[in-house]
Amino acid sequence: MDNSKIAHHISENFNKELEDIRNKVLAMGGLVEEQIELAIKALTTGDMELAESVIKQDNDVDYFEMEIDAECTQIIALRQPAAFDLRLLLTVLRIINELERIGDLAERIAKMAIYLSSKEGKSDHYLELQHMAGLVKEMLNGALDSFARMSVDDITEITGSDAQVDYEYASIIRQLITQMMEDPRNITRSMDMLWTVRALERIGDHSRYICEHLIYMVKGEDVRHLTQAELEEKMKS
Amino acid sequence: MDNFHSEHHISSRFDKDLESIHTKIIAMGGLVEQQLSLAIKAFTTCNIEMAEQVLRQDNLIDEYESIIDTECVNTIALRQPTGSDLSLLIDIIKVTSELEGIAAKAEGIADITIQLNQARPV
Repeated sequence: MDNSKIAHHISENFNKELEDIRNKVLAMGGLVEEQIELAIKALTTGDMELAESVIKQDNDVDYFEMEIDAECTQIIALRQPAAFDLRLLLTVLRIINELERIGDLAERIAKMAIYLSSKEGKSDHYLELQHMAGLVKEMLNGALDSFARMSVDDITEITGSDAQVDYEYASIIRQLITQMMEDPRNITRSMDMLWTVRALERIGDHSRYICEHLIYMVKGEDVRHLTQAELEEKMKS
Repeated sequence: MDNFHSEHHISSRFDKDLESIHTKIIAMGGLVEQQLSLAIKAFTTCNIEMAEQVLRQDNLIDEYESIIDTECVNTIALRQPTGSDLSLLIDIIKVTSELEGIAAKAEGIADITIQLNQARPV
């Protein structure tokens, strides 16, 4: 791991504090990734116990957020950092907020898994759902990897995947609508599926926001609300 | 309770910084409220023009968010506040992000309003 960005302070303790924060964010990120994976697995296999464990583990995610939040605020107050260090800490505050929301969405998918497992029949959209879940997990993983490396060199590739996620989202929604029109008995099941797909799409959005926060951290520029093309242009210059 | 107008800081510049941020966040909040009311009104009255107005105004919210954030970060970096002053500034950054999220939802309602009223399926 490249430590040059955070391990250059005269105060050995400050280096350690920043390192500690980074490790905690990565641990929290790992947990959230696992939550998505387990929630989808619970949904597609109808495993209620697995879904319950996802719901229980969401407390750990919340706890991570509060702990890292408190630590960041304390470091800002005590060390009065400037420039990159300050941006790093403020960015961490934003990243953990996004991670917490992704955690909530995973919990929502788990709740849906419990709800659906009490019903008959298997959805025929699990393959598409798993594929979409794979895409958003890759986005989140890439974002966390960028954070670990403190580098945004390949960040536009990750943000670019969001368009792919949105495309798959739209295509699954179209299929669901067709099914609902074919047979009204499909409506309840299709609606349940729709919430799940929507949750995955939101996870993609939040992963993209993490990337935007990272660009702020490294470059000091606010790139929220830019289109993908504008973002690519900006990162080139 | 009123951290914004306490005027207890030795640096009156810091009080001015806070005052400026305070004014902006109130304005941003008001705008977000307005966006939400407009979006709901557009939706319930099937008013495409009103929905488009909501979409047009959304970049104002983004600008507010960006300006308030920058002011908060600069104030933290320059004045190096501690204790409740620091918490206040960090909380403001969180509040602007929530407000922006609410505005994005209002935009979503406006989007749906336009979609619903443009395409009339047989």
